[in-house]
Amino acid sequence: MAMTRREAFKTLAKGSLPLLAAGCVSTVLPEVAHAEEEKIEAPKGALGLLYDATRCVGCKSCMVACSQANDLKPDTTTDGIHQAPPALNYRTKNIIKLYRTADGSDHSYFKQQCMQCIDPGCMNACMFGGLRKDPETGVVWWKGTKCVGCRYCEIACSFHIPAFQWDGVNPKIVKCELCRDPIQKGLRKQPGCTEVCPTQAVIYGRREDLLKEAKSRIAANPGKYFEQRVYGEHDAGGTQVLYLSRVSFDKIGLPNVGEESIPSGLKYSHMLYKWLALPVALYAGMVAFAGKNFKEHSHHLVEDQKKTGLRPQL
Amino acid sequence: MTRWERSVPVYGIPVITRGFWALCALIAVGLVLTVVREVVGLGGSISGMSDPFAWGLWKTFNVMVLTGLGSGGFAVGIAAWVFNNKKLHSVMRVALLTSFLAYSTGLIMLGVDVGRPWNFYWVAWLPTWNLHSPLLEIAVCMSLYASVPLFLENLPPLFEYLIYEHPKWRGFALGCEKAMKSVYPFIVGLAYILPIMHQSSLGALMILGGNRVNTLWQTPFLPLLYVWAAAFLGYNCVVLCLLLAKLAWKRDLDPSVLLELNKLTVWTVYSWTAFRFLEILFRGKILHVFTDGYLSILFWVETALILGSAYVLSTEKAKKISTMFQAHAVCALGGMIYRFSPTTLAFHAKEGATYFPSAIELIVSLSFVAIAVLAYLVAVKKLAILPGSNEEWLKMAKYEEQAKPGIQLTGYAPVEH
Repeated sequence: MAMTRREAFKTLAKGSLPLLAAGCVSTVLPEVAHAEEEKIEAPKGALGLLYDATRCVGCKSCMVACSQANDLKPDTTTDGIHQAPPALNYRTKNIIKLYRTADGSDHSYFKQQCMQCIDPGCMNACMFGGLRKDPETGVVWWKGTKCVGCRYCEIACSFHIPAFQWDGVNPKIVKCELCRDPIQKGLRKQPGCTEVCPTQAVIYGRREDLLKEAKSRIAANPGKYFEQRVYGEHDAGGTQVLYLSRVSFDKIGLPNVGEESIPSGLKYSHMLYKWLALPVALYAGMVAFAGKNFKEHSHHLVEDQKKTGLRPQL
Repeated sequence: MTRWERSVPVYGIPVITRGFWALCALIAVGLVLTVVREVVGLGGSISGMSDPFAWGLWKTFNVMVLTGLGSGGFAVGIAAWVFNNKKLHSVMRVALLTSFLAYSTGLIMLGVDVGRPWNFYWVAWLPTWNLHSPLLEIAVCMSLYASVPLFLENLPPLFEYLIYEHPKWRGFALGCEKAMKSVYPFIVGLAYILPIMHQSSLGALMILGGNRVNTLWQTPFLPLLYVWAAAFLGYNCVVLCLLLAKLAWKRDLDPSVLLELNKLTVWTVYSWTAFRFLEILFRGKILHVFTDGYLSILFWVETALILGSAYVLSTEKAKKISTMFQAHAVCALGGMIYRFSPTTLAFHAKEGATYFPSAIELIVSLSFVAIAVLAYLVAVKKLAILPGSNEEWLKMAKYEEQAKPGIQLTGYAPVEH
């Protein structure tokens, strides 16, 4: 069938529509182009904690100090017992637990709070940036006006940190933000937990300095620390909160998650979306085939109508 | 046995039946409980969710599983329009309707599930989008799909209804139909690319679950397996709807179309299963299919249900309607379990943590399914959705023209190009 010039223009115009759309989308979404993964480094001024489980005496004063510093209401989730929560929750950003073997031969206290990942799963999961990383300090914090309450952050955190407020009409996501808010307001110099710790089991500072300190402790005490290494230096792509322990890390709530960050699992998916090229090409291809088949189908419908006298259906 | 030539409404049966009222009652209870949930929150006895199991039935079943079942619109559509499988045009309307109902109720369910829905308006403001988030991809793509291409694809039966039964609107409907025809390939293209994207992103969601999702399910290819499973679930759902129409309203069946759908189901399942096993093998985790206790059993249950029923569908036995029905139902069950497992059954949330839905979660979840079922039952009786023969249409026309004097269902439209 010969094509008139008019038809040719029409086809051309229709065919270029998807391309035009693609152009618009990739201009509006420049980040799509940068979807490829590279190892993410901690910001220069990254702040963090160093918790040495061998120094902790389990006094829980850090838990009280945390509640005070963050204006958290008393946690009475365990049968009304004050400040004895079984796990982190929306009223408890910091908790001290005890690992103990059944026969009591071995034990260790351990502290749990947000690990301030360098490449956080929660932040990658969050749709509109409700969880975000401070560009200077690397602290991961929650911005309520961008949070939809989908709780994907809880699924995406290997450390079980973000907690959802299950009651009420205005629920929040609660997690340790290294006392970012009170420190910014000038109300305090360091987080509640590190300020009160009587044995300096948990200390606050720049991640770089903390890492040095941790390594010097390992060097000074050969054989004392588990695997002679700092948990968080590389684990989960690196965290800003670092741990030293005598007992194995998985006994004190630090899962063996490997050195890849959680979001790096998505790198293949991101590749497929690079420049949105693949989806757009697929779309254009399907439109082309569907267009051709649609023409043929419409033709059949008209033929059928001539035969049956019934109105064609799309 | 007959040939499906056009869609014909179910006629001669009242819309309002006892079942209609039963569904309405369930929906009413569900809506009341939804209001309670909005006021009280998700804690206490409202839901069984907790911080370790932050996602419950509303996301994992109503969205993850049921939109898979509602994937007929794109799975059958691609076969029909892109791969030019002409037989399948007759069942497109059923596929599109089930898809639309599954997606729209799933999306509303999402709105009920999230804690701070008022912040969702950010979806309209591109700079806030976190392009790394699979959930963002789903939120954007799924709502776009349901509200634009899928919605438009479902309009022709409605236009037809206006053309035949409401002369006042006839001109308007004819105009809309014509406009739709001129851009139809662009609409269907969108209706296939968007589900491919978000159905795979549903799998990508659980990639961020890391090693808490058992290794038999957790893979970088989870997105591919999810969208693939959605395809055969879509075929299952469409066939089940067609066979149920036979059971409920004695609609005639066209064996050639059903066998075509069986064939598609069988090959989708075979390739899916082969890929799943090879992927586990090449990842070096094949021994886990025996060593992971009840999760290994779950893996084999999924495989047996899906693969076993596909095998039955590939044999001569499947020509028997009851066998075909059972095979598709079992296959759908297996596929639904597969889509559900990574989120809950094979998700090791935390030592000692368990999830079981609360009564309220269950009732609300079912009431949203009931909304879809009710809408389906009304739609197939009012609109030309279910496939039938031209003869059936003439019978229907005779019946309707007697019941409603003044309408004309045959010989109306002029031949046009």
